[in-house]
Amino acid sequence: MSRPVRPPFDPELDAVLATVSEQVPTVTLDLLPALRATVLPVDTTGGDLEAAGVTRRELTIEGYDGASLQATVLARADHNHAGPGIYHLHGGGMIAGDRMVGVDQVVPWIVEHDAVAVTVEYRLAPEHPDPYPVEDCYAGLVWTADHAAELGIDPDKLIVAGASAGGGLAAGTALLARDRKGPALAGQLLVCPMLDDRDDTSSTRQYDDAGTWVRESNRTGWTALLGDRRGTGDVSIYAAPARATDLGGLPPAFVDCGSAEVFRDEDVAYATGLWRDGSQAELHVWPGGFHGFDMLAPHTAIAQAATAARNAWVARLFAH
Amino acid sequence: MQELVGRLTALDPDASETLKVVSYFDALAAAGVGVDGLLRGAAALAGVVAGAERHGRVSRRGPDGRDIGPEAEHSTQQATSVGSVWLERHGAPHANDAMIVERLAVSVDLVEARHRPVAHLETVIDADRSLDERATALAPLRLTPSSWIRLVATRPETQAPTGHSALVPTRYGLIRATLQLADSPATVEPAGLGPWARADHAPESWAGAVVALGLADAADPVVDATDLGAMLTLAQAHDPEAPHPDVTALARLDPRSLQILRTLVEADSLRSAATTLGIHHSTLQARHEALTRSLGYDPRTAIGKIRFAAAAMLLRLNNFRDAHPAD
Repeated sequence: MSRPVRPPFDPELDAVLATVSEQVPTVTLDLLPALRATVLPVDTTGGDLEAAGVTRRELTIEGYDGASLQATVLARADHNHAGPGIYHLHGGGMIAGDRMVGVDQVVPWIVEHDAVAVTVEYRLAPEHPDPYPVEDCYAGLVWTADHAAELGIDPDKLIVAGASAGGGLAAGTALLARDRKGPALAGQLLVCPMLDDRDDTSSTRQYDDAGTWVRESNRTGWTALLGDRRGTGDVSIYAAPARATDLGGLPPAFVDCGSAEVFRDEDVAYATGLWRDGSQAELHVWPGGFHGFDMLAPHTAIAQAATAARNAWVARLFAH
Repeated sequence: MQELVGRLTALDPDASETLKVVSYFDALAAAGVGVDGLLRGAAALAGVVAGAERHGRVSRRGPDGRDIGPEAEHSTQQATSVGSVWLERHGAPHANDAMIVERLAVSVDLVEARHRPVAHLETVIDADRSLDERATALAPLRLTPSSWIRLVATRPETQAPTGHSALVPTRYGLIRATLQLADSPATVEPAGLGPWARADHAPESWAGAVVALGLADAADPVVDATDLGAMLTLAQAHDPEAPHPDVTALARLDPRSLQILRTLVEADSLRSAATTLGIHHSTLQARHEALTRSLGYDPRTAIGKIRFAAAAMLLRLNNFRDAHPAD
């Protein structure tokens, strides 16, 4: 059997992948209930937050269509005047995860920049297909901007941030905010974002059987979100931001991904589109990174480099 | 996706997870990761600082992978060929600490060996190298193609026997190869002795030594591949990743069934087997029939006995791979 032509995994990441590969299932809808029930999301627990000096407050806010959504506000215990705001959207392929997934990436920004984070429990496909997830996310952004003063957020320093499906939803939320003349955003932080339902890039073909989030899992996520519309002409730019033909007038973007993942080509294309249409963007493609490498293997050299680049972008943005 | 797969986290303080430690370090070694990456891996698994001193230079990495400077307090420590490695655990050691340090030491040695200018012994025993390449590598070892040699295989964590020695990845994991020029008693156990061969045929001796080590056990701590006779040919054709169905059938049996099977194969008659096992003749007959069904052959026929012996030997090799290097 000949080896497929594709960038190899980074050596340290390859070893981690070999060790945890049994925990990395290809995601199908049949598997979804078991997956949601058994695989623990990486939650930043109360203990970790407390150790970081961060308090956690639970709220119920209004989502799309008048629904009630749970949200969590995270701030330093000594937060007492308006600071930067981070509107956070979790990952999970549009079909799994909860609002605390990925929060550990945000905590250092809360601590270092006295920022306030709001993370919202948007509704998941397939029970709530498009447009529920992205509309819930947008409703949460509007709520956050409307309540900036009481949350202790400087409305001029509000960014949207998310990883994987959360990155796709963050991009979609930024597009909605632009087109509906909604809240002004100071930035959009898109970590290995899930942007394109069309499943037609070199990278999706290259990683159909290797890595963490493989091609079949990605198809499962998009099918859950879009049903029969997946890959057809009937998909909005807010559900799949890769379909947007005008990426002008958007807030400065940070986009990163691994060179060895399904999302590589769509993420690079999105940054290219932002530049083409006059928006600002910083793009990092980490060589040999599989999807979510910095979350799965944070101790590796490449994960530290990725985290440092992201933290530096946030620091420059908030320093303005 | 972290939310769907979890992450590589520090191991359970109380439960031994030998296989995970071994497979992670094997994977790091196979990927060619350097000493810093090995330290990051050890620290992430242990959840505490891991350090190494090489040629007098100290490097330390925290469980988050960060470089944390040269000050060190060692707890669990092990020597390497050029210094030592350690974990910095305060309080009682965790269940996997010793294994992590041991694998870290072995892996650091492997990196050091890789950085040595030329790996002559590795070349000499590598069947994938051409005859010319192997012949060229013989001279620095003071050998000629017609020198009479043999390779000895020992476990990586045991002390190297006297002679040119190297850690070599094999299909049974990392194994130490040592070159012998004269028959000398094995000082390290367990050991597998390869057949004597011309130096330009060293890969054949090495292949035999690896199989022999795989078959060594408490009763037979030093196995000479030559004693395996024709079975050596069979063992070398065995792929532990894709064992013959006869091997998997045997692996599925519980210890009691295996004992009954052995007795059935070895006994002169069903009746004497029943006496040896202390069970009723008719009960044994039923077990015999059930075993014939589950194996797919009758282990008491002449051919069946041969099949059983072959499968039993290959199963030992597979168990060696799975248990290696833990006892």
